[in-house]
Amino acid sequence: MSPVNLQSYLIVGAALFVLGMVGFLTRRNLILMFLSAEMMLQGVALNLVAFSRYHGNLGGQVLTLFIVTVAACEAAIALALILMLYRRRKSLDVSLWQELREPELEPIVDEAPLPPAPLPEPMPHLTVAGPEPMHPAEETSHV
Amino acid sequence: MVFFLDITDASRGAALLTLVRDFWPLWATAALGCAGIYGLLPQARTSKPIWAGFGVAAAILLAGLWFVRQDGVWPEQVLFYAFSFLAVVGGILMLAQSNPVHAALSFALVVLNVCGLFLLLAAPFLMAATLIIYAGAIVVTFLFVIMLAQQAGLASADARSREPFLASLAGFVLLGALWCALDKTYNLTPVLRELDLVASAKSLDEVAKLWSEPAAKPGARTLPALDRLKNALPRELEYDVPELEKAWAKQDLPALTKAAARLRDQAAKLKLGALKPRDRDAPVEAPVTAQNVAGLGRTLFTRYLVPVELAGVLLLVATIGAIAIAGRRGEGLR
Repeated sequence: MSPVNLQSYLIVGAALFVLGMVGFLTRRNLILMFLSAEMMLQGVALNLVAFSRYHGNLGGQVLTLFIVTVAACEAAIALALILMLYRRRKSLDVSLWQELREPELEPIVDEAPLPPAPLPEPMPHLTVAGPEPMHPAEETSHV
Repeated sequence: MVFFLDITDASRGAALLTLVRDFWPLWATAALGCAGIYGLLPQARTSKPIWAGFGVAAAILLAGLWFVRQDGVWPEQVLFYAFSFLAVVGGILMLAQSNPVHAALSFALVVLNVCGLFLLLAAPFLMAATLIIYAGAIVVTFLFVIMLAQQAGLASADARSREPFLASLAGFVLLGALWCALDKTYNLTPVLRELDLVASAKSLDEVAKLWSEPAAKPGARTLPALDRLKNALPRELEYDVPELEKAWAKQDLPALTKAAARLRDQAAKLKLGALKPRDRDAPVEAPVTAQNVAGLGRTLFTRYLVPVELAGVLLLVATIGAIAIAGRRGEGLR
């Protein structure tokens, strides 16, 4: 008897699915939205494989294999579309495309200003250690 | 203001309240986690969200300690905890990182740990396939991130979130509902406690008080509490509930306690949700563990042959589509 039960895997799968959903709703980078959708698929795949083991039946694993296939197709198409969108706007920000929404919705405006970026650390100033070696006045011949 | 949930119907509101009251530790943990995630999401702020990080960590610990069932300490269990902890932490880091490159790396952490969980679930082929396919996909994505996002430095959009509060709220509702459903299905502890009380009852009044519904007057033939019990029990035990009902209808205390004790013992013996043991000698159709690759191949090419062909066609279509969409030269990337 396995010491870890079915519901433990289902709980983890549910947590991954919800994290992916929150990521898809909040992140504004197109590529990260795509990765969040992939994370939701990971949660679902975990559920399916756990049920496959629970029932002693390979159907769940086969279905997960198909999910991985469809995810690969999705990755190809999504990255191509993202590349198209990037060519138009020169940015991955999804809010630049908000005129595609319903016309009566108010546009989202970034209100709170971002804190200024921290200044780059100054390069360390190295003190000279020891006396400067003697430089030869001119290159001597190696011949 | 329009609420999505219609609780004008009183019974529906009461059902909702019962759900929240019965499973309040689950809801509290989900609320703690989602509040922490709300704090961690990239936003315009001045200080680092340390308290939100502590909140999320506390929620993960509580969920791991309380809701993940365990029977003793096994290596598999240690591995399960390690993999699932790292997977969830990777997911949270992916939400919290404002640098897209770091977020993509966190997603790689999630995939690696889910692959570890696949291995624990006796799916080695799937682990290898997911690892190879996702590793390839993530490397490509990673190159995209570096190529596109890093050309103009960090964008201000990455340091902000879209509707962080509403998204965390939606996550809280979904997580709480999913965990509630799982706990309701797989956790027999409240049912066992109730049956224990019935089995040790000294008088019929005690049972009537326990099932304190208006219909629980001595002599009532059916009880809402018994229906609830029947719903809470797994299907394997449903056939023993009529015995309890019959004893209650006859108002026969010894028979009632005996039936309750028997039901309790059976429910305690039932390993609900236990995964199948490793079985090396079982025929190919039955086992998952032994001969995983051979069994998977046989299943794929006999029972799921048409879907396999369709998946191949889908891959071809997706490849052609991707080339048609992205392959236009002339405009150039810049």
